[in-house]
Amino acid sequence: MHPNLSDILGAGQKPSFHSSPMGSMLGNLPSFDPHNFSQLRPSDPSNPSKMVPSTYRPTHSRTLPPPDQVRATEAKNILIGNIYQRAEEKLRSKRAATEHLIPEHGCKQTRPSTS
Amino acid sequence: MSTWNYVVTAHKPTNVTHSCVGNFTSPQELNLIVAKCTRIEIHLLTAQGLQPMLDVPIYGRIATLELFRPHGEAQDFLFIATERYKFCVLQWDSETSELITRAMGDVSDRIGRPTDNGQIGIIDPDCRLIGLHLYDGLFKVIPFDNKGQLKEAFNIRLEELQVLDIKFLYGCSKPTIVVLYQDNKDARHVKTYEVALKEKDFVEGPWSQNNLDNGADLLIPVPPPLCGVLIVGEETIVYCSANAFKAIPIRPSITKAYGRVDADGSRYLLGDHAGLLHLLVITHEKEKVTGLKIELLGETSIASTISYLDNAVVFIGSSYGDSQLIKLNLQPDAKGSYVEVLERFVNLGPIVDFCVVDLERQGQGQVVTCSGAYKDGSLRVVRNGIGINEQASVELQGIKGMWSLRSSTDDPFDTFLVVSFISETRILAMNLEDELEETEIEGFNSQVQTLFCHDAVYNQLVQVTSSSVRLVSSTSRELLNEWHAPSGYSVNVATANATQVLLATGGGHLVYLEIGDGTLTEVKHAQLEYEISCLDINPIGENSNYSHLAAVGMWTDISVRIFSLPELNLITKEQLGGEIIPRSVLLCSFEGTSYLLCALGDGHLLNFQVNMSNGELTDRKKVSLGTQPITLRTFSSKNTTHVFASSDRPTVIYSSNKKLLYSNVNLKEVGHMCPFNSAAFPDSLAIAKEGELTIGTIDDIQKLHIRTIPLGEHARRICHQEQSRTFAICCLKNQSSADESEMHFIRLLDDQTLECISTYPLDTFEYGCSILSCSFSDDTNVYYCVGTAYVLPEENEPTKGRILVFIVEDGKLQLIAEKETKGAVYSLNAFNGKLLAAINQKIQLYKWMLREDGSREIQTECGHHGHILALYVKTRGDFIVVGDLMKSISLLIYKHEEGAIEERARDYNANWMSAVEILDDDTYLGAENNFNLFTVRKNSEGATDEERGRLEVIGEYHLGEFVNRFRHGSLVMRLPDSEVGQIQTVIFGTVNGAIGVIASLPHDQYVFLEKLQSNLRKVIKGVGGLSHEQWRSFNNEKRTAEAKNFLDGDLIESFLDLSRGKMEEVSKGMGVSVEELSKRVEELTRLH
Repeated sequence: MHPNLSDILGAGQKPSFHSSPMGSMLGNLPSFDPHNFSQLRPSDPSNPSKMVPSTYRPTHSRTLPPPDQVRATEAKNILIGNIYQRAEEKLRSKRAATEHLIPEHGCKQTRPSTS
Repeated sequence: MSTWNYVVTAHKPTNVTHSCVGNFTSPQELNLIVAKCTRIEIHLLTAQGLQPMLDVPIYGRIATLELFRPHGEAQDFLFIATERYKFCVLQWDSETSELITRAMGDVSDRIGRPTDNGQIGIIDPDCRLIGLHLYDGLFKVIPFDNKGQLKEAFNIRLEELQVLDIKFLYGCSKPTIVVLYQDNKDARHVKTYEVALKEKDFVEGPWSQNNLDNGADLLIPVPPPLCGVLIVGEETIVYCSANAFKAIPIRPSITKAYGRVDADGSRYLLGDHAGLLHLLVITHEKEKVTGLKIELLGETSIASTISYLDNAVVFIGSSYGDSQLIKLNLQPDAKGSYVEVLERFVNLGPIVDFCVVDLERQGQGQVVTCSGAYKDGSLRVVRNGIGINEQASVELQGIKGMWSLRSSTDDPFDTFLVVSFISETRILAMNLEDELEETEIEGFNSQVQTLFCHDAVYNQLVQVTSSSVRLVSSTSRELLNEWHAPSGYSVNVATANATQVLLATGGGHLVYLEIGDGTLTEVKHAQLEYEISCLDINPIGENSNYSHLAAVGMWTDISVRIFSLPELNLITKEQLGGEIIPRSVLLCSFEGTSYLLCALGDGHLLNFQVNMSNGELTDRKKVSLGTQPITLRTFSSKNTTHVFASSDRPTVIYSSNKKLLYSNVNLKEVGHMCPFNSAAFPDSLAIAKEGELTIGTIDDIQKLHIRTIPLGEHARRICHQEQSRTFAICCLKNQSSADESEMHFIRLLDDQTLECISTYPLDTFEYGCSILSCSFSDDTNVYYCVGTAYVLPEENEPTKGRILVFIVEDGKLQLIAEKETKGAVYSLNAFNGKLLAAINQKIQLYKWMLREDGSREIQTECGHHGHILALYVKTRGDFIVVGDLMKSISLLIYKHEEGAIEERARDYNANWMSAVEILDDDTYLGAENNFNLFTVRKNSEGATDEERGRLEVIGEYHLGEFVNRFRHGSLVMRLPDSEVGQIQTVIFGTVNGAIGVIASLPHDQYVFLEKLQSNLRKVIKGVGGLSHEQWRSFNNEKRTAEAKNFLDGDLIESFLDLSRGKMEEVSKGMGVSVEELSKRVEELTRLH
């Protein structure tokens, strides 16, 4: 368990802003492609961007996914799922137990139906 | 009947709700993907900046937007989940430039309580599963198989009911989530769970942390090598992992958005509720976290999303103000800010209120919105108009005229730009470097003002000055011939074409010359009884070099006359009426119809159809374009001729389907314009405005233009008053001081400058709720009425408010009367010369009474109880339509004789209303909080009282937008002669900044368009495989029903964007020709 927040912050500790020089903190900002934005000049702030992309109107057939990739939630209720799962686990542990017993009782076979 | 409605977007939503960055369109390309409610925009990062690639409509409101990289893929996929529980995975196919659906589905559950804090959708960093938190107490998992295919989803029970955030942790061998939640004692904690995919259950995770900051609301997962999570609160930020815990205090703030800077997760940008941008740094040594540091970088719009793009450039997506592209500078500017705004992207959202006004009184509505929130609040003037994209500009004062000339008759491009001043003429030309520089045409007289210039046949140019007409070779630039004005006379006005010159000297002398090869021949002279004010001989007949008609505008008798050429015989004389002289005449042809346009000195424009064979003028029409003299010129754009009317309100006149239309140009005052089609600036216009000469290209016609008036405070209600030419707004200002109290004001603004000219502060805790400009019976004054509420922290609903009545005197708001009310005055309406107010549960009618001392007071007349909260009220005659907080729409009637208001009918559905409007006497429109529109109808013919007392629901539609206001009106110039002009429209404004139009159509047109819509559904597919029919179906918590009596205009108008082949496919389905379909759809686009 982690200690309480107040212990870490301490009573006397004050928030400190503008403490370290920003140059170091803002240095080495990541660059994927150094060309990106290299020719962008700030625009007149009163003049918003007027670039408007064209609107996409798909007419092709691949807007539908492969049939096996139309997914929904499995119908099984969580509770029922849990009951099945538990039952399965029980069965498994029983079976494991039986398997474990095999060498002790020799080659005991499952009993054929009596009826 | 307003039963059949057509809904169309005039301005798309602009509120940025999500954004993400990745390699979506190619492994080498970096993309910014932005979600704006029901649309996504794909941008490409380039050297020049953000380049918009595609605007993608999504048939759903976007709840989650995530890029992810499945195993073995070279580029990212896009995961989108919608609020109506659909999801899809999209991939970009760069070969076809199409979006392909990799997977989709439905993640709704039949039972479950939708989460209060919004839907959460996250993707495991190792791509093992998608996690969704959509219903309280359930976490849904969509697992990936090892080939990256999605498997069937399943639910896991999540013990924590009040979930604030969920994120996947990095670097875990089993997929692990961290859950930030609130317990039933309102304490906040985080907990981790491993997702056991086989068992379909949670396993207790590696760590947890109790008792966090009470305002903790945001989790930021930290990637390897550090891993762990940052928990952002209102007073602290904590780093937490299995083996480390670090915390720092922060200045109290609510963090609204974060953006990761470094791939290793050591730096983050945090945006808070006040628009402050901070840098959070995780300091570490040998992959061990040693501490946290936070620094203020500067101010941006209030961010809803932050995406670090590349090379110190960051996208700030905003829901409350304009989105921005900013740069993080190493050195602070003079104000100490490290943030430099590179670009801004207009956002009108949230549109809290708006009004439709016709400020220029020219028949074209403008929408003035209360947009944005808090410090980013603003007014926006939205109107239809044409933009000029400036290519080059030079400072030049005192331009008196401009003409472009070619260097030879068959040159396709213009070379020279002749610019005339009061006492000289200067000639500009494109040099070899494609720059505009000053040159000379030796044969021109450059010592005087030029009155007119034109290209002439045989490689010649013609210049008209006050003393002569000069014919100059365009190749040698030398003077070939000159015609001199008779001594004692000077040329006042002149015009020319390639073979003809027409000029007027003082004393009403009209002189007609013809141009030959090196010759100028005076062919005819006529003396008119008055001075001539303007002339035109633009050839619009069969011969493009020669005109048989001349148009002449006259002083004194204020007429326009048509003369035949070369005879100069008067054919037609048309009195213009009034006292304003014609300043510019133009013969022009649109779509095969010939017109005479005649512009007056007061900004009015007359147009006539011209019979080319007999010169007869018919179909006279008059419109007001501005207030200053207009100069008319033709220009070509996209191979179509338009007319540019230069004035204080520059306008483009164009024709569509044989109708003249007028569209504003988004420039202030334009003195002169001439087309300048040079090789370097093809299809451009040269424009003289405000002391500068600009060369630019012209936008497509019919585009909305938006002017922003930043307020720095949040405007909530707006109203216009024609008589005082003012707007009044209710607004609130958040005090920046520590107590954070807000102050509410009523402000008066000049309707031209939109500057605040008077302010009335409201009391402490008093909110402005409604505003109205109205007059009362027996009183000629016009007042502003304001309804308020005292919002006290200890009250659930206000129990006290006021109605304030102001008059505007000397540009000041003067309080004339006030009346205390027993609740919040949510709505005010002018009603039968009285004032109708909606106050909490009650509709209350007040009359305006004259006291004995001559002062006025508001007196209660009658009222009607029986609402939960009467929020929205509209009236028509004696009918009152009320939109209730949760009881849909009801119809009341005011009975004069009894002085009583009674309920007539109501809709018994439990709709939570957000806006109402009256479409016609019997049909009412409503918008509700599940983003639906519906119409109800009064059933006057019902057989029983019960039937008559029921408003029948006749139309239903899922708009997918939260409407805050309906107003009757139109954004486009509605010319009474047009068919579209007959269609009633209502404008709506939404939280996401969309402006839409609802048009009530005649039944036959509706039926036709409904068929077109269903045909288009087959051709235009929903992105991600989402269904249009399902998207537009009415949907609330209780039921879903197919849309009825509403059509999706956005889908219908997209017909015009289809390829010819697809149009033909639709045409075949419709049994109507493509041309006819285009024409009919084209007409609809003119509604907005």
